[in-house]
Amino acid sequence: MASFAPEVIFQIGRFPVTNTVINTILVDGFLLMLAFFVNRNISKIPGKFQLIAEYVIGGLYRLTESIAGDKTSRIFPFFITFFLFILIANWSGLIPGINTFGIIEQHGGKTHIIPFIRATTSDLNTTLALAVVSLLATHTMSLRVLGLSEYLSRFIPFFPFIISVLKGKPKFSLDMSGPINLVLSIFSPFVFVFVGLLELISEFVKVISLSFRLFGNIFAGEVVLETVSGIFAFIFPLPFLVLELVVGFVQALVFSMLTMAFMIILTTPHKEAEEVSHSSGV
Amino acid sequence: MSILEDFGVNPLLLIAQVVNFLIILFILKRFMYKPILEAIKKRGDEVAEGIKSAEEGQKKLEVALEKEKEILTNAQIQAEKIITSAREESGELKKQIEENTRRDTERLVEQSKETIKEEARQAEERLIRRIGEIAIALLEKSLGGVFGKKEQKIILKKALTELGKQELL
Repeated sequence: MASFAPEVIFQIGRFPVTNTVINTILVDGFLLMLAFFVNRNISKIPGKFQLIAEYVIGGLYRLTESIAGDKTSRIFPFFITFFLFILIANWSGLIPGINTFGIIEQHGGKTHIIPFIRATTSDLNTTLALAVVSLLATHTMSLRVLGLSEYLSRFIPFFPFIISVLKGKPKFSLDMSGPINLVLSIFSPFVFVFVGLLELISEFVKVISLSFRLFGNIFAGEVVLETVSGIFAFIFPLPFLVLELVVGFVQALVFSMLTMAFMIILTTPHKEAEEVSHSSGV
Repeated sequence: MSILEDFGVNPLLLIAQVVNFLIILFILKRFMYKPILEAIKKRGDEVAEGIKSAEEGQKKLEVALEKEKEILTNAQIQAEKIITSAREESGELKKQIEENTRRDTERLVEQSKETIKEEARQAEERLIRRIGEIAIALLEKSLGGVFGKKEQKIILKKALTELGKQELL
């Protein structure tokens, strides 16, 4: 697995079916099967399967509730779906021997195996897509919760000022109580503009950091496993496999927790955030 | 954009993954999280209700036990009262019955005494009469050879009179 890009197994029209796409479909299938079984077996007195499902879903719900509070019902579906999808995807690449099935390819006198299945999170397409969904969902939620004006004023801090000008009553005051205050009140709008710009940039950085973090971790893990297996195939790779299991779990948690954090930050109005920071003594 | 190409980013794949994730999100939300969370909530509510009703039941039980105690105490007191009064009544009854029996017995004894006296008297009478008759018969037989008919008649008459006087005839 030398290339960053997923290998195309076959094409449907213009759509390249890569090994990560096949993996995505399998992960989807697994999750759908899970949903099907959970949905079918729900009863008042839970069976083993329902108990496990309740433990996982209920536990994650309480975790979300403890962080998100009254926004739980909005954030929870994204949080848990990101978590489950990424977790299953990460671990699906760790099934021993899964990437030994593939097309044998002669390349420069060396034989390569192009596996049919490769963890979908080791494909930047997938992680980027997840990050984009995370970003879009966050911003949609922010718009819905805060309203357009409050939402825009985060990125364009002088938005309230523009509105007040449009209404014909510009809200602008200079603090004349002292020379330092005067200078501050003249310069602070520029600072706010700069902060707004930073906020805007940070949104794009979020996408990049989310997607590359996940992609890098999982891709690196696969490379490590392949290399280690190449050195000595028995027992030796086991510690690395355990490590990758942990990494897969942690990365799934990191992605979903960060998404949750972004959602909470972007759905909290400026004033409330100030009050919170004041009351907590920050 | 060559960096993205190096990483194999393909707009088609990207869009496909976005759509795929949204579909999965929707399905899981609708068919997995919602029913499970509802089940958990429902059970939690039921358990809370159960505990509440159990507490209520306990309270009611305590009240009932208290009442039971009270009723039992009252019943005991009443029972004792009844027993005491019954004992008193029975004592009185016993006395009365004894009295009656004594009186009846006395009466019976008196009656029997009188009957015995009467019978004795009658027997005495009969005996006297019989003695008289025997005496007459004895006199007739013994006088036969000794006196003539006339004397016999006179003696018998005298004897009869004498016996009558003695109330033996």
